[in-house]
Amino acid sequence: MENQSVGIDKQFLAAPVKSAVDKFQLLPEFLKVRGLVKQHLDSFNYFVKTGIKKIVRANDRIVASKHPNIFLRFKDVRIGEPSIIIDGSPEKITPQTCRLSDQTYWAPILVNVEYSQGSPGQPNTVEKNDVIIGRMPIMLRSCCCVLYRKDEAELAKLGECPLDPGGYFVIKGTEKVILMQEQLSKNRIIIDTDKKGNIIASVTSSTEAVKSKTTVVMENEKIWLQLNQFPKKVPIMIVMKAMGMESDQEVVQMLGRDPRYSSLLLPSIEECAKNGIYTKEQALEYLESKVKKSMFASDSSERESRAYSVLRDVFLANVPVHQHNFRPKCIYVAVMIRRMMDAILNKDTMDDKDYVGNKRLELSGQLVSLLFEDLFKTMISEARMCVDKFLEKNNRTNRFDFSQYICRDSITTGLERTLSTGNFDIKRFKMHRKGMTQVLARLSFIGTMGHVTRISPQFEKSRKVSGPRALQPSQWGMLCPCDTPEGEACGLVKNLALMTHVTTDEEEGPLISLCYSLGVEDLELLSGEELHSPSSFLVIFNGLILGKHRRPQRFAMSMRKLRRAGKIGEFVSIFVNEKQRCVYLASDGGRVCRPLVIADKGISRVKEDHMKELMDGVRTFDDFLRDGLIEYLDVNEENNALIALYEGDATLETTHIEIEPFTILGVIAGLIPFPHHNQSPRNTYQCAMGKQAMGNIAYNQLCRMDTLLYLLVYPQRPLLTTRTIELVGYDKLGAGQNATVAVMSYSGYDIEDAIVMNKASLDRGFGRCIVMKKYTAIKQKYENNTEDRILRPDRTADNAGRMQILDDDGLAAPGEIIRPNDIYINKQSPIDTKTLKGASAANLPDSAYRPSIQTFKGPEGESCVVDRVVLCSDKNNNMCIKFLIRHTRRPELGDKFSSRHGQKGVCGTIVQQEDFPFSERGICPDLIMNPHGFPSRMTVGKMIELLGGKAGVSCGRFHYGSAFGERSGHADKVETISETLVKHGFNYSGKDFIYSGITGCPLQAYIFMGPIYYQKLKHMVLDKMHARGNGPRAMLTRQPTEGRARNGGLRVGEMERDCLIAYGASMLIYERLMLSSDPFEVQVCRKCGLLGYYHHKLKTGICSFCKNGDNISTMKLPYACKLLIQELQSMNIVPRLRLAEA
Amino acid sequence: MDPQPEPVSYICGDCGMENSLKPGDVIQCRECGYRILYKKRTRRIVQYEAR
Repeated sequence: MENQSVGIDKQFLAAPVKSAVDKFQLLPEFLKVRGLVKQHLDSFNYFVKTGIKKIVRANDRIVASKHPNIFLRFKDVRIGEPSIIIDGSPEKITPQTCRLSDQTYWAPILVNVEYSQGSPGQPNTVEKNDVIIGRMPIMLRSCCCVLYRKDEAELAKLGECPLDPGGYFVIKGTEKVILMQEQLSKNRIIIDTDKKGNIIASVTSSTEAVKSKTTVVMENEKIWLQLNQFPKKVPIMIVMKAMGMESDQEVVQMLGRDPRYSSLLLPSIEECAKNGIYTKEQALEYLESKVKKSMFASDSSERESRAYSVLRDVFLANVPVHQHNFRPKCIYVAVMIRRMMDAILNKDTMDDKDYVGNKRLELSGQLVSLLFEDLFKTMISEARMCVDKFLEKNNRTNRFDFSQYICRDSITTGLERTLSTGNFDIKRFKMHRKGMTQVLARLSFIGTMGHVTRISPQFEKSRKVSGPRALQPSQWGMLCPCDTPEGEACGLVKNLALMTHVTTDEEEGPLISLCYSLGVEDLELLSGEELHSPSSFLVIFNGLILGKHRRPQRFAMSMRKLRRAGKIGEFVSIFVNEKQRCVYLASDGGRVCRPLVIADKGISRVKEDHMKELMDGVRTFDDFLRDGLIEYLDVNEENNALIALYEGDATLETTHIEIEPFTILGVIAGLIPFPHHNQSPRNTYQCAMGKQAMGNIAYNQLCRMDTLLYLLVYPQRPLLTTRTIELVGYDKLGAGQNATVAVMSYSGYDIEDAIVMNKASLDRGFGRCIVMKKYTAIKQKYENNTEDRILRPDRTADNAGRMQILDDDGLAAPGEIIRPNDIYINKQSPIDTKTLKGASAANLPDSAYRPSIQTFKGPEGESCVVDRVVLCSDKNNNMCIKFLIRHTRRPELGDKFSSRHGQKGVCGTIVQQEDFPFSERGICPDLIMNPHGFPSRMTVGKMIELLGGKAGVSCGRFHYGSAFGERSGHADKVETISETLVKHGFNYSGKDFIYSGITGCPLQAYIFMGPIYYQKLKHMVLDKMHARGNGPRAMLTRQPTEGRARNGGLRVGEMERDCLIAYGASMLIYERLMLSSDPFEVQVCRKCGLLGYYHHKLKTGICSFCKNGDNISTMKLPYACKLLIQELQSMNIVPRLRLAEA
Repeated sequence: MDPQPEPVSYICGDCGMENSLKPGDVIQCRECGYRILYKKRTRRIVQYEAR
């Protein structure tokens, strides 16, 4: 009463305080700018724009060995527009034409050169621009691609799907992805233990010139150096002395004042003294005796000792030596030893190899760059060799043109071969890896997305250790915690989370000089004593010690401020490690990072008005970055941040606020509604299954010619969506249908996860799918000028019945129904393809051809349809004909279905709608699921999905179920869903009053019923069903063939045999192993025990050893046994059979 | 001998122009030079089973 008079809106007061700014809109904006495959595109763009130029600049000169005045210099390099040369003229290509006509999508590598020309005696220098030295496969949607920055309409015109992520290559018509490779970071000190439990500090150095691994190990209380160039480990103190650190005191000073360090070092110093080494010369002499002798004595080692060059070039190769100044290396070694000793004194300073901050992801751009560098160098040395040869032969008389030697196709073929096979075999960089590229999974749209965000491990999968497989806390927000395969690769193969970005290399020089101007004291100017003085922190930039800083926090803060102001790259990370008393700066490529909202004393910098500007379209994600509202943090820098999950949770210490919590999941796990209500392995199972679901592939799915394509006839968008679904476009290219599910027991055909399906639903198109298969035929040209020919079918021939679907051009016509054994191309090949025929090749007589018709081998009893026939010419200019054959399948018994919660099941039975249960409103479910699927799986998310879906259909609004979304409003609460249900006349718990379809009586219980999004998985009975009575046998053993494709038999294997022996079913074994397999009648000589033969004229068996037929018995044997006996005989072993009365 | 074979025409994947090919011809649209041709749908009557 009183309230009303005052006019207080009770509901307004009771509503939660609207404190947090809804930052969700940042996410679509982020994905618009960066996209899910931005890391691939960025790294490829970096290679194309910068990397390739660096490589060419580093090797820009080819000089003839004997004539230094004859040379070729590369002035510039760039990648042209994607094109191919047809009949000498370049023709532009698009990815879609490459896919259809089995071409590689590539662009010419153009160089500007300056070279010597004319007679070798007095050459004149000529310039030439845009010389093509090879062709580079182009990553789709990269800056060289024709799809770059195209809008939807333009993409459609090019035959491309706007939702397709790009980030892959098209090589010979197949789409190839280079997976991200996970590896330990280069040029960083890693403290670890070796196999014997000794503490080691190792650095994998990697510079443009050298790659090496340096290990400092503490063994028997002494410190040693391990390096490949030294067969045995050498004392570290001798190495220090060899580098000019002659005073032991200085070494001790460099380690630090703490007496514990010096006492740990003492045994090593003693060892050095025991060897009688006190000076640099003595140490170098000692090392010279230890160093591995090189295979070929090079003349350079005459001048300087080999040990010296090893120390300079190989040992800690990432630390540069300028003018024989080894001091930075000495300090680096001292820091390594100090960190080792820290680890000895205090175990928890050990580095974790599985920590994501110690890892780098190698991206496709870097790999292509390595490949190109190798091929480019090979090309240069080849060109030099050719020129030398030419100059030697033609004694300075003939005209000579250097530029013609660089236009070989070794780069082109090398790139194409490596990308199509995936075998990176780069000797120059000691890289031999297999399976680096994979064919892009086009099973479903989401599978494609998952494939380009996948990370493959470097170590072998067989290792039984759990460390690398376990979920690392540092993976938070960077790598998806759900999406990993089951089985051997579990935990090793990972996927990126939604907002992750992988950095590319950044220019180091300006950053280093910036550090110095911000007060970093140069390493050169520091004495050993000052190095670890208690008031200062070391500054380490990309693994290189720059110097020290007396006010590290201030230094870090000013660097961060510069980054937020956009003065230095947004991906530079500044990390103050209090424990190691170091400031780590990183600008190298391959670090994973993610954007976060910056907060000052717990107050978010992103305010309501910023978001409003974003919504109005006046502000972009980059503006947020530029204005210092958002920044990227990598895994290391996250350690310096206190990140609040929600704005409301922020305290005074909070430095950052998450943008959205559900971004810790990846693309595939993002499809699951309410994943935070499920048991965790169920989400992992769904991640594996979501990739197998049939649905829409892309907007251009019907214009593609994949070898195998699965499509759903009526795909739907899920009633219960998540924000991720909308962001990646799963609502546009769904892979499933909303089925009304009744959770109840029905018949006995629903045990063990089987589902009962409604026949009427199937008639209406539920779960109906299309399987398209490609069959290719090539009209081959042979070397003797003969050619295959495609003939008009002879309508009167014997096999005319099988040729009914052919047109007069000898090809099957689209739209025709094709049955197994039908001929789809009436082709003939010349019998003789070797001997040269000359001009008469065109009109050979009919007798010179043999038929090479191709018949369709599809599922027996099913009718397929020729969907499309495409004609194009392949690389060798042969005519290539592709037939796409379509088969529409309706669900049948045994087809596999799954909801989005890792709950797969097969169709157990199909029931008439008349027998199906129905509700009072007349709602009849599409499928019935057994309630036993719930208790042990604990997929509560599925139940909420059912509730939310039911509320969604009744109120006409899509409901949301984003992960952890209840608090931020991206997931509906069960409470509100129930309210909606009640409002529309349903029970709040989602249960319905159901009548039995069989008896018409009401069921005893209320049934939990509502729509759940169901996926049809690609595993279908039709492709797997197999049985055999009689059939083909293998030639050699006369046993039934193996495998379904060859109509093979079902094997009674060793274990089955064991069972039969144990049971004592001897006659069954006899039948399975001989009568049903390979029975054979042999003639055995009772006297000599050897096998004889049956003489057909004398009608007796004869022993060929005894030369008579007196003691011959006829018996049955498996043919394989007879074969074994004969094979043994051929090896000079005589098996003899001794017969007994049976 | 045989009745004159009925020429089979192919549709250009780019411009939609109908082309007829003879053996030995380059596979290319006469109109626009596009190199992928599609075969025309059969003119025979086909009866599909919808189930």
